[in-house]
Amino acid sequence: MFSRLVTGAAFTSLIVLAGIAIFLGVQAVSAFQTQGLDFIFSTGWDINTDPPTAGIWGMLYGSVLLAVIGLVIAVPVALMLSIFMVFIAPRKLSSVLTNLIDLLAAIPSVIIGLWAFYILNPPAEQWQQLLNQYLGWIPIFQNTSQNFSGTPFIAGLVLAIMMIPIITSISREVLSRTPPDLVNAAEALGCSLWTMLRYVALPYGRGGIVGGVMLGLGRALGETIAVFFVLKLTFETNWYHIIESGGGSIATLIVSRFGEVSGPEELNLLLAAGFFLFLGTIGVNIVANLIVNRTGRLQK
Amino acid sequence: MSTITYQAPLDPEGMVQTPQRPWRHKPRSFTMAVALAVVIPAVISAALFFFSPIPGAIVLTVIYFPLQLVASGIAAWATRGVRGIADSIIIVNAIGSTVFSVVVLLSLLGSLVVRGLRALSPHFIYQNSVFINPSTPLEYGGIGHALVGTILIVAIASLIAVPIGIATAVYITEVRGKAVPYVRFFVQAMSGVPSVVAGLFILTIAVSTGWFSQNALAGGLAYAILMLPTVARTAEEVLKLIPDELRTGALALGSTRARTVMRVVLPAAKTGIITAILLGIARVIGETAPLLLAAGNNDGTVINPFGQAIASIPVYIFNNVAVPYPDAVARAWGAALALMILIAVLFTLARVLGRGRVGRAK
Repeated sequence: MFSRLVTGAAFTSLIVLAGIAIFLGVQAVSAFQTQGLDFIFSTGWDINTDPPTAGIWGMLYGSVLLAVIGLVIAVPVALMLSIFMVFIAPRKLSSVLTNLIDLLAAIPSVIIGLWAFYILNPPAEQWQQLLNQYLGWIPIFQNTSQNFSGTPFIAGLVLAIMMIPIITSISREVLSRTPPDLVNAAEALGCSLWTMLRYVALPYGRGGIVGGVMLGLGRALGETIAVFFVLKLTFETNWYHIIESGGGSIATLIVSRFGEVSGPEELNLLLAAGFFLFLGTIGVNIVANLIVNRTGRLQK
Repeated sequence: MSTITYQAPLDPEGMVQTPQRPWRHKPRSFTMAVALAVVIPAVISAALFFFSPIPGAIVLTVIYFPLQLVASGIAAWATRGVRGIADSIIIVNAIGSTVFSVVVLLSLLGSLVVRGLRALSPHFIYQNSVFINPSTPLEYGGIGHALVGTILIVAIASLIAVPIGIATAVYITEVRGKAVPYVRFFVQAMSGVPSVVAGLFILTIAVSTGWFSQNALAGGLAYAILMLPTVARTAEEVLKLIPDELRTGALALGSTRARTVMRVVLPAAKTGIITAILLGIARVIGETAPLLLAAGNNDGTVINPFGQAIASIPVYIFNNVAVPYPDAVARAWGAALALMILIAVLFTLARVLGRGRVGRAK
């Protein structure tokens, strides 16, 4: 009796996951019935036609673009930060930093969004202006409208700030589990910090670091509120103009359209978009966990 | 002085020496090189920043950072040879990344305190917003209704997620059935569900079944989805710390598996379980998207969990951010500060309790 009850409860997570997949999947199927394959391969959102026409390609692509911008900023910073905490900083400073990074991870996304909207945005617009002024010949830094607010770059920067604590805490843990014998042996053989990292610590922690990066990626894909405040949602695919105003994100699409949803048809489209968000994030997360778990086992 | 008077009779010839740690000894030239490498780029960049029209961001990225790399590289080359250069690049980048992250955090916390304190006052905590519009001055209105809503929603989420989460942990550590690896896998996968999807899921159930509408129950269900993995994983870690002697002892005395868990294992892990609950609450209490979808918003205080839409602190902040009225924005900062204090208290409590638990297990 007891063990059956507990076993039943233990499978709640499976039931919930299956429930999400089924309930949102049904919505996705009915969205495909009204929209056809254009639902994922075209870009647009028109609720005045009957039935409403919608395509989420720009949003799907935008989510990935924002996550990539975030990763490009967050991965080097997080990796260097964890190297500093494990191999360079004195132990006391390192434990203070650990607490600070945990604190950064605990800040809710709505507060990050509030901060980004009022504190980060004004200087970030200036930075983008400078990027455009001096590096405008590089295609990704082109901006024809001279409007630098609500760009994928700012949204990616905000995502990077939210990914840094996740990636740092996992890679710090992985790096700090490098066997001290190996580190000491490398140093005794005359390795410098760089050669020790290059030949001992980084190869040892590679799997865990990749897993941590993917966990960060999963969070970035699903991040909603912080991006909502700093990204101007446009229903055109912004392919690579990262400092041009306007971009897309599935999660942000859901929240921003939900407030003024016109009726059951549009709600159905939003739920269907949520299904793809669920598929993407859960897929990335599962792969990340498999990688992290495997390295965890190897180390035992 | 006391060590000398103590050592003198034992060691009259001075045979015992305090360790010298020769490897710690840094030649003066090394200290000089490091000092120069730190000071020169900073002075040049500061001079350019204050006395030239070049924008600060460009001074920092195009002048200071490369200059710092070059200066450290030269210092490292002069003291340690070619092999020092790679080290110096890593150290400069590592310190730079650390400074960047700490500056971001301090900017976040600093702006929260500076801008949030303007709105924070006793009536801000207990009044609701029934007669408040965005242009109302700060003397009136507050987050009382949102606080009640958040507490109600978190309570409902805890009522659902805590028993299931603990039962999941008990299954993994106590029942140890065949499905343990799968259960672990699904719990981990569930922690990857984005918060907005949790809200959408509850919304779909509500819409397609018609059982409930936007209210505290729906918000609590959405929160429970996000809370469950945190509670289950933390509780699992805690239960693993309970020594097996307790279990075998209880079983040897003739108690059933259920009695062992309920009367011996869980009470022994009490503070750890509380830690798990606190961490679960801290994980969800700031989530906005699920409540935006599932719980809605309300200007008045709602106590009935099955009734109409209900306010919450995150949604209150959300609605006051991009508003063209300074007082409304000040309310958003005030509510954000209050929320952050709440989260900090939860984490501190969890950490203090967690420390006590580990200490006793050893």
